[in-house]
Amino acid sequence: MTAAIEMRGITKTFGPVKALTDATLVVQPGTIHGLIGANGAGKSTIIKILAGIYARTSGTVTVMGKEMGVITPATIEAEGVHFIHQDRLLVPTATVAEAIFLRNEPRFGPFISYRQMNRQASELLRQYFDMELDPRTLISDLSTAQQKIVQITRALANKAKVLVLDEPTAALVKKEVDNLFVVLRRLKAEGRAIVFISHYMAEIEEICDVVTVLRNGSDVGVVTPADVGIAKIVEMMTNRDASEMYPRREPVIGKPALSVRNLTVAGAFQDVSFDLYEGEILGITGLLGSGDKDLLKALFGQVTPDSGEIMLNGKTVHFRTPVQAVRNGVAKIPEDRRAHGVATGLSVGENISLASLDQMSSRGFVQRDAEARNVDALIAELGIKTPGRHTLVKNLSGGNQQKVVVAKWLSCNSQVYLLDEPTVAVDVGAKVEIYNLMNRLALEGKALIFLSSDLEEITEMCDRTLVIYRGEIIAEYQRGEIDANRLLAVASGAALNQKETA
Amino acid sequence: MTTLAKPRLRFSLDTVSNYAVIIAFAVVVVIFSLTADGFLTGSNLMNLISNKVVLLAIIALGMTIVIGAGGIDLSVGVSIDLSSMIFIMMIAAGYAGFFAIMGGLAAAFCVGLANAILINKLKINPFLATLGVLFIGQSIQRLSTQGGVPIYLTRAEYAAPFDAIARTNLAGVPAPIIVMILCIIAVYLALHRSVFGRYVAALGAQAEVARYSGIRVAFNLSVVFIACAVLSGITGILLSSTVRSYVPFAGDAFLLDAIGATFIGTAISAERRPSVIGTLLGVLLLAVMRNGLLLIGWNFFWQQVGIGVLVFLVLGLSFGLKKRSE
Repeated sequence: MTAAIEMRGITKTFGPVKALTDATLVVQPGTIHGLIGANGAGKSTIIKILAGIYARTSGTVTVMGKEMGVITPATIEAEGVHFIHQDRLLVPTATVAEAIFLRNEPRFGPFISYRQMNRQASELLRQYFDMELDPRTLISDLSTAQQKIVQITRALANKAKVLVLDEPTAALVKKEVDNLFVVLRRLKAEGRAIVFISHYMAEIEEICDVVTVLRNGSDVGVVTPADVGIAKIVEMMTNRDASEMYPRREPVIGKPALSVRNLTVAGAFQDVSFDLYEGEILGITGLLGSGDKDLLKALFGQVTPDSGEIMLNGKTVHFRTPVQAVRNGVAKIPEDRRAHGVATGLSVGENISLASLDQMSSRGFVQRDAEARNVDALIAELGIKTPGRHTLVKNLSGGNQQKVVVAKWLSCNSQVYLLDEPTVAVDVGAKVEIYNLMNRLALEGKALIFLSSDLEEITEMCDRTLVIYRGEIIAEYQRGEIDANRLLAVASGAALNQKETA
Repeated sequence: MTTLAKPRLRFSLDTVSNYAVIIAFAVVVVIFSLTADGFLTGSNLMNLISNKVVLLAIIALGMTIVIGAGGIDLSVGVSIDLSSMIFIMMIAAGYAGFFAIMGGLAAAFCVGLANAILINKLKINPFLATLGVLFIGQSIQRLSTQGGVPIYLTRAEYAAPFDAIARTNLAGVPAPIIVMILCIIAVYLALHRSVFGRYVAALGAQAEVARYSGIRVAFNLSVVFIACAVLSGITGILLSSTVRSYVPFAGDAFLLDAIGATFIGTAISAERRPSVIGTLLGVLLLAVMRNGLLLIGWNFFWQQVGIGVLVFLVLGLSFGLKKRSE
């Protein structure tokens, strides 16, 4: 059988840096092929070479038995290979139908036939996704999940034979992921090849027939997840044992750092009360829209509570803007790192000192020697991998960018850390580093609130976990009292139903 | 197989790309020194600086702050004109020079404050907010000058304050140039050495990150727009004290040159950020081109063509090569 994609001996150098060395990726039609590796392993480089965004330094690429010379985005799409990129989304001002038929519009003479285009778009959405979506809806009005569906539909409208999905599930909730998988299996049954890139190991195990594991720019194995198991695959990726994933810490719990009493934000959450102690990692988890994110916003001054009280070290505070929260020692590590966490166009040093310039200045002027000393110390302390403090943050990996965010707050000596999905879209190795960082903060006596939809990391990392459901805290567990599966049942309200029926 | 990377070529392209503005400036100066009679004379250079550089430089400094913070200010002309108008009207009404200057600067301050309120309180984006202020400011000038009639104060009874300003100098350097140098130092310190400058850079790079870092976004943006307006106001006073008159809408002519000089200046920093040095180079480049082309006998229309082509060359070298080498 002819392989759908056959990339052999692929090498790519960026100046002196070798991103890929003699890498191989062979994808058969009618399979879902996983591509995994730590950040920097070469996943995105090999995909960008296939997509014609980077030119390969050497190696051969064959698509459906046809050898490709210089690849451009247009030539590869002409061969029926389509890409659903993680960050390159759709034109927000286009309608669903316009996005699906972009550059392929049904015509009536020289004009676009909108009626036909809208009808065909509806049909495709219904046929593949069982979805009733008005094709005239604007892209900007769609959820992330719906946008992914539109991207895939566009590929199908163009008769894609190979679909490459880069982190397609990153921003989706469980049910949306399940729906996506149903579609992927149907496409597979139709004989299409699917390349699936994901950081979520459970998804890889669930959906992929074959997995190519990349490490340090080379493929280190092609395996069947069902046979070898996830632990083995993680070991291949990181070259380290999976049991070291969650570093241990002996908690030293101090006095209450943050107390919340009967806090209510209308329409988001009501009557929330809890204490957070120095040295503690407190997990908060709930389904999308349960009010967990709004709670963090209220604690960081981004929304003003309608009633209730927030106390820091026993003193009542009223935050109306993040300015006051930061001055009172509250730090937030936002979920969308590139939009809210780091200014990618500024240097590492400028980012780290951004929140603490007041302490490193006199009469409004930055004391550059003091700043440089402080920044260099933090870079060394957190092990931020950067050529120096003048490097732009956009040139750092995701895990290192996250460390820059933490360094920024350490620099202004924050006491309470609100972490909103800090490990989203970073690779396994970087996750471990972030866990280590959290443990260190806790051991230094900082108080941490850890919000995550990865329930395993909640149960493994947190001293205590609160479950929030429809805006109310419905359960509290000490470390070890609950496992990830039961936590999911509680968070999705299953436990409530049981109680009612019992 | 195919070998497509050319690392050696990239190095030299990068060099050209980063220094394109400086190279262009040097080349232009050399060419005019050789071809334009009287270009490299003391009187011409003094004339160049006093008449072409000073006013544009001060406005462009203000524009550098605003663009550095990720905004734009289309209303600099209004700040210039209202400041000039109040200044001249107060002198005509018999106020002392100092109070007339303060009055003019206060008018410019109000323009900046209006921009700040529209942008921070009403959340209108800077382009539209300052465009609205531009329209209203032009109408204010029409309404207070019977449709745009200039105010000339050439009679002897008004001469005293102007003479005082004209006489003011430091070791022979005339007052406007001193004012420009002070403005350059102040804006340089503010943008490149102070905490405020760091906040401006953060706002320009990613305003949301600034917000999430506990920076007072609204306050700092207000300072940005007021600073730009006051710098423009200073220009307005310098302008009307040299010509001893107020000519409605005279300030509008500076808007595009100020924006142009700022963006040309971004080409000198590797991160493509607005900077004081870059902006000054941009101002000098524009001024030298105008002056040199005039001296070699090009008329105004062809001067514009020449400047347009030069801007394309400089920015093409700078940004086009940069992109390719990435």
